[in-house]
Amino acid sequence: MNTFRLLALLTLGILISSCKKEDDVVQSTDYSSVIQNIGNDVILATYAELDAKTLELVAALTALENNPSQVNIDKARQAWRDARVPWEESEGFLFGPVDQQGIDPSIDSWPVNQPDLDAVLASPYTLTKDYIDGLDGTLKGFHTIEYLIFGLDGNKSFNDFTPREFEYLRACSQSLEGATRQLYYAWKPDQQNFIANILNAGQQGYTAVYPSQKAVLEEIVNGLVVIADEVANGKINDPLSQQNINLEESRFSANSKQDFANNIRSIRNAYLGVYKNTTGVGLSSLIAAKNASLDAKLKQQIDEAINAIEGIQGTFTTAIFNDKTGVELAQQKVRNVQQTLESEVLPIISNL
Amino acid sequence: MKYLIFVFAIFSVAILGCKPDSETAVQEDEDLKLGGETSITGAYIQVFQQPAPNMSALELDLHRAADRAFGDKFVTAPAIINGGLGPIFNQNACENCHVSNGRSPFPESSQDLRGLLIRLSVAGSDVHGGPLNVPNFGGQLQTKALFGKTPEASLTWQYVQEVKTFLDGESISLSKPVFVLENPYEPLPTEMMTSPRIAPPVIGLGLLEAIKESDIMALTDPEDADKDGISGRANQVWDVKNQRTALGRFGWKAGQPDLSQQTAAAYQQDMGITNPLFPIESSLGQSQLDALQDDPEINEATLKAATFYTQSLAVPQRRNTTDPNVIEGKKLFFELKCGSCHHYQFVTGDHPEYVFLSRQTIFPYTDLLLHDMGDGLADNRPEFLANGREWRTPPLWGLGLTQVVGGIKARYLHDGRAATLQEAIMWHGGEAEQSKEQFRKLSKSERQALVSFLESL
Repeated sequence: MNTFRLLALLTLGILISSCKKEDDVVQSTDYSSVIQNIGNDVILATYAELDAKTLELVAALTALENNPSQVNIDKARQAWRDARVPWEESEGFLFGPVDQQGIDPSIDSWPVNQPDLDAVLASPYTLTKDYIDGLDGTLKGFHTIEYLIFGLDGNKSFNDFTPREFEYLRACSQSLEGATRQLYYAWKPDQQNFIANILNAGQQGYTAVYPSQKAVLEEIVNGLVVIADEVANGKINDPLSQQNINLEESRFSANSKQDFANNIRSIRNAYLGVYKNTTGVGLSSLIAAKNASLDAKLKQQIDEAINAIEGIQGTFTTAIFNDKTGVELAQQKVRNVQQTLESEVLPIISNL
Repeated sequence: MKYLIFVFAIFSVAILGCKPDSETAVQEDEDLKLGGETSITGAYIQVFQQPAPNMSALELDLHRAADRAFGDKFVTAPAIINGGLGPIFNQNACENCHVSNGRSPFPESSQDLRGLLIRLSVAGSDVHGGPLNVPNFGGQLQTKALFGKTPEASLTWQYVQEVKTFLDGESISLSKPVFVLENPYEPLPTEMMTSPRIAPPVIGLGLLEAIKESDIMALTDPEDADKDGISGRANQVWDVKNQRTALGRFGWKAGQPDLSQQTAAAYQQDMGITNPLFPIESSLGQSQLDALQDDPEINEATLKAATFYTQSLAVPQRRNTTDPNVIEGKKLFFELKCGSCHHYQFVTGDHPEYVFLSRQTIFPYTDLLLHDMGDGLADNRPEFLANGREWRTPPLWGLGLTQVVGGIKARYLHDGRAATLQEAIMWHGGEAEQSKEQFRKLSKSERQALVSFLESL
């Protein structure tokens, strides 16, 4: 057979196979275990943890209000950091109810609206959960609480709190817990059960959101790309490139490095399908089956990114001036994760 | 050469082999890539948040930076960053209305109106032929205010129900929100016009901007010279940057000439953020106005970034195009002359800045023209040449992903009154009366087929 005929036959083969549209392909592979695991053991578990931790934050702030002391302010600050962990670990899957129900602004609005916050504190209004619920996002949520318990420079004394600030903190933490509960319940099976859309994707009665399991996987990977981009090119890049500490999100608490690292852990959790001590399969098993070296590379890149972030010298606030090399290295490591997810993992998922 | 011909022959056979009944087959999915080379595959919640895949690496970087401008939350001035919100406003960030870049969910309560707002005017027109502002309220109702300032009014609504019956006996209940302005900070004039608007999706807008004006004008038929019952009028609006009248393309009544002005107006009206194009606060002349000399509150670069974000999003391609139901629905769509306004195809012109938007074959399903949509949809509030019964044909790309992206509260039409696509169709009147009437006469399975087609967009 000469080359041209071979070419012709090959062409025919390609064309015939390309006749088969994506839509016609019967879903032959079952990705249920990956999806069930990421849905239940990662996403739902993270939201459950978030709500549990914000509840502990409410309690810690109540204790501080009842008995202002060094011990109690330290506990309150730690409770804030602890609650921040699952939130940052949820930022790899910022899709669905968190946006559709408008919950995100109530949890994580930034920057804090300091002029209005001062004005509310100076006002005669009784500060209840309902009152705070009605305020704009920039007057509530994690960063408003952070500003109030750490102070502008992170060294606020327990003696510096006014009764009004305690009143605000009480109502504001209750409002935050209300928002995290709303988010958890939006996904929870015995509540609004959004998770059913993921777990039963493509099955009859559940195609309104996801026509297939592949669509869920595309959703998840795109969410991971978004957070990697956000950390590298937003959260790290804005303060670094402009040499401006006011562009750092968790500056009052000096919690930025933990925030960034936990954002990358969010990627790791979904990729490996684990959260805390759970075991199960994640995207990794799926990718490894297609391309083992890619899987190994991404896992290593994720670990390197977390290590590089945690290896930044001092606080992120000082490091953007004093450890630019360390910050830039961390940024590059996160960009590597983004690059791999975007140009190597996503195409595999899209071609499933 | 002989072999090449042979290859070509196989090619042809293979192509024909794909499309058994060639005549309808060519039509059925030639619009697969609704947004030309800016199209992407996929049906998931974040699908409206993807960058156009045919951008250069540099443009992609710009898009990513612009994404952050779209998410930036504004606060009260003076502030070190993102200051200038209000004093009166609707939301504090672009993405608060354009939820996941899709249609805003209809609000659950008056407390948070999401992407719903009310435009206002009194009889007459301004020096440029635009709507005449309501004294002390302006052209838009700002329902939020900074602490210590007063929102212009709050908003409540009640539903009016109407039952329509299909020829096959099945009926459908249509409900329409009737909005009431409560607690105005100053008395409202008794003779006032209001127009409720829901934030639309932001995908594909750069492509619509790149359509040649001559191609849009070629579709106009202001006096219905061809007697098909469809007029199609171009809005002529005020172009602030060039200080001249220009073709209106964007907004529910095509009241804005381009995306830069659309974005700048949204900053100023929706968020109270003054900018190079609109450097004066929306509250000018009102008691809420602040005394700060901080205008414009964002610079040209920020305005350009937010504008670029709306120009550079990917358009999801069609899905299920080979489903027989969908194929039948598409056939019905054109048989019922829906395509007279929801214009099928354009080839974009040469975009002055971005090659990725140039010469794209696109299927937006809009003519960008104004059409009388009947009493049921009328807002009775003119906007430049658009009268109180006219609306600009909205593009239909991404329509089938509305509730995927926005959730079940994301609804259709300018005020979010229609919970389903079938309801949205049944609200059509005026120039669309005949098409709607024919839809009413379809069998249930035909109606479902047409809806399936819309869902494939």
